[in-house]
Amino acid sequence: MSRSLGGAAVVGIGRSPFVRSSGRTTLSMAAQAAREALADCGLTAADVDGFTCYSTGDSAGPSQVAHAIGVDDLGWSLSVLGGGNIVTSTVAGAAAAVLTGQAEVVVVYRVLGSQTRYGRALERVEVDGEGQFAGPHGYLVPPQWFAMFCRRHQYEYGSTAADLGAIAVQERDHAVRNPHAVARSPITLDDYLNSRWISEPFRLFDCCYEIDGAVAIVVTSAERAADLPHRPVHLLGAADSNRFGGSVDQWDDLSCMYSRDTAPRLWSRTGLRPADIDVACMYDCFTFTVMATFEDFGFCAKGEVGDYFRAGRATYGGDVVVNPHGGLLSEGYIHGLNHHYEAVLQLRGDAGDRQVSGAETALVTSGAGPFGGALVYGTAAA
Amino acid sequence: MTTTHEERPSVGADPLSLPPQPVPDAVTAPFWAALAEGRLAMCRCEHCGLWLQPPLERCRRCAGPTRFTDVAGTGAVYSFIVQHRATVPGYLDNLPYVVALVELDEQAGLRLPARIVGIDPAEVRCGLRVRAEFTELPGGDFTVAVFRPVDGP
Ligand SMILES: [Zn+2]
Repeated sequence: MSRSLGGAAVVGIGRSPFVRSSGRTTLSMAAQAAREALADCGLTAADVDGFTCYSTGDSAGPSQVAHAIGVDDLGWSLSVLGGGNIVTSTVAGAAAAVLTGQAEVVVVYRVLGSQTRYGRALERVEVDGEGQFAGPHGYLVPPQWFAMFCRRHQYEYGSTAADLGAIAVQERDHAVRNPHAVARSPITLDDYLNSRWISEPFRLFDCCYEIDGAVAIVVTSAERAADLPHRPVHLLGAADSNRFGGSVDQWDDLSCMYSRDTAPRLWSRTGLRPADIDVACMYDCFTFTVMATFEDFGFCAKGEVGDYFRAGRATYGGDVVVNPHGGLLSEGYIHGLNHHYEAVLQLRGDAGDRQVSGAETALVTSGAGPFGGALVYGTAAA
Repeated sequence: MTTTHEERPSVGADPLSLPPQPVPDAVTAPFWAALAEGRLAMCRCEHCGLWLQPPLERCRRCAGPTRFTDVAGTGAVYSFIVQHRATVPGYLDNLPYVVALVELDEQAGLRLPARIVGIDPAEVRCGLRVRAEFTELPGGDFTVAVFRPVDGP
């Protein structure tokens, strides 16, 4: 058996509209995205025998969504409990299912409805597990956790609010050219600095834009992909890291993230390095997530991300285009699966006004803090 | 900054006026029981001495039995935030407040999340030396440890 994911490819992509409040069920949105992804690659429900999603218990499940779009029977169905940290494992798991013959055509989706808003905790009147130590102190939600990381980075490496602002401004600038993005008005560094505090050192514009919507991608074998309408986008390799049981409080070094351990694993498995990457869809639940993981993946040294972005190295004409769609910060928060959609669009050469010229490789990262993963897509099979 | 959450709300108050209440389980219950007696105790392996947070029934290093053991209650601010946005029940007014990860003196990397009191939020720094003190969690069923700068602001 091959030890590489290179025999699998993403052949179809679909999504629902991204809106602040849809009034729709997760089943409706996920079914729409799945139907679009199949139509995109010229397949039908009859071709699908695998379905998987990740969620935090807030989503219609794979068998429901498959049924809703007319799939009669699924030979492989997997519902994964997790958030941004688990996206890579879910997509790579779908590829592994294809490569080991457990399924031939797999739909991977993530959907978020209005009932899911991770930045707020007003219904959290009781907390169990590790949260019982933090919740009573008013410390319970991701913007607080990653602001805690950011503060330590500022202390150790002297990174600044302007450095975070450079990331927010750049991503918003990219979203201007993306009609599917929810936040498309350009912002300046002053706008960033004048945005209100959320969890200091995070301001409003450090935080992703939580919305309703769904994304689906279709994974199949490279052989089958060759007969389908679009240029196949191959998986070149994937890696994850999971330490400290996912504890954001006990993780040993808050100035970095899972990517400290994922990155060398990924570069080793793919034989690639940062200079080989044309498009980087960096998981950006917060600006600081981009900062820490960008350093960890080796695009620049600790404390240099602000200068890197200000010098135009993270955009068109620079070293690597970071989140050409505007990311979770500006396109909207579909828990990182929209990063996969964008990577595929870019590698097909179908990204229109925001096409990264000659894009052949895309890094897609997922997660923040002590756990997460990343994979690389390429136009040529590994 | 004065602490603002010590007052017990009246019966029938808006549930959002209470901070999230801990739900102790078989492993964490001794942590809360110690606090109720005015002691800060952390989980420690009886065989190898490793401190474990969050607590475990058996040591993750040597699988030895664990028990809650009193700590000195002193440490340093590893990192901190100043919470401005009304986000968590019980903390919707009297913003902002400071939450830190306090690294306890007993073991490198052994941290507790806790509010920092008795100092202007703008004066808090990584490395600040702090000491635990005990206060009733609004709701009346639990005591929590908050931390105050050792030498004052
Ligand atoms: Zn032990």
